[in-house]
Amino acid sequence: MEPNPANTSRLLDAHGFLDRVIAQLRVLQSPQKDTLVSVLQYLSDHIRTTRSEIGALRQGGDQPLFATTADELEEIVTETARAANNIMDAAEAIEGVAATLEPEANSALMAAVTKIYEASAFQDITGQRITKVVRVLQSLETKLDSLTEAFGSTPELAGAGPHGDEALLNGPQLMKNASSQSDIDALFETMS
Amino acid sequence: MSLNKNMRVVIVDDYTTMLRILRNLLRQLELENVEEANDGDTAFHLMQKNPLDLIISDWNMAPVTGLDLLRKVRADARLRRIPFIMVTAESKTENVIAAKQAGVSNYIVKPFNADTLRAKIASVCGVAA
Repeated sequence: MEPNPANTSRLLDAHGFLDRVIAQLRVLQSPQKDTLVSVLQYLSDHIRTTRSEIGALRQGGDQPLFATTADELEEIVTETARAANNIMDAAEAIEGVAATLEPEANSALMAAVTKIYEASAFQDITGQRITKVVRVLQSLETKLDSLTEAFGSTPELAGAGPHGDEALLNGPQLMKNASSQSDIDALFETMS
Repeated sequence: MSLNKNMRVVIVDDYTTMLRILRNLLRQLELENVEEANDGDTAFHLMQKNPLDLIISDWNMAPVTGLDLLRKVRADARLRRIPFIMVTAESKTENVIAAKQAGVSNYIVKPFNADTLRAKIASVCGVAA
């Protein structure tokens, strides 16, 4: 959904307009002005806070939060597919050995192998569920883009996100960004 | 009467893991003449090549869904009578109704087990499970 330029302009205008009205009211001598000023100030602050919160939602440190989360979820699909295929490699090997055994042992092993094949379907099911979540995230991201556009840019949030030790807690890396063990070893060598 | 071990089966799923599971389970039923496709278009192309006995397809694929594929099969003079089993995680009543209206022969909900697969294949092929 494309942001509506008319709405964008209206929101930014409204915010500026409120601040101007507050400034004009402050210099008046009317006894009712304090109540009016506090209400308008509340509205103005509320718009500012909402704008910051939306900006914070859009940014998770150095990476766009939604895009990164979607990538993480897609990585789960990839990882579970790899695990399922490894499990089936093993099951097929067992099936091959089972064929050489006595009928009773063969039958018991084949029943177990069948169970493994059935259980491996988890990858397909979880994959479909995760794909649905990714679509929802993408839709939310589009809507937030519209809201962010409407509230104007939030350059003060460029450094938002965790800092210090907290910034080091990123969990498993996406395959495309991850360092291999040999990368780590090489890095370690350069530091020793 | 038992399953014809030489029957030609086309299996369709966009998840290669699921294709592998189906192929392995079919092998355990001694059905080895199995061809696989990752999408509906490739599957339909495969179906044109040789005489076919059974289609087992996922529903949720893009751009051609399992339901689209089913409709194409049922609209094709050469394929319209081929048994078509939908194997899918789509388990809402309206899905089953839509598939039935499009001419599906049977419907298996994921996750499924080998016994269910065997029973449905036997059912659509007209043999005792």
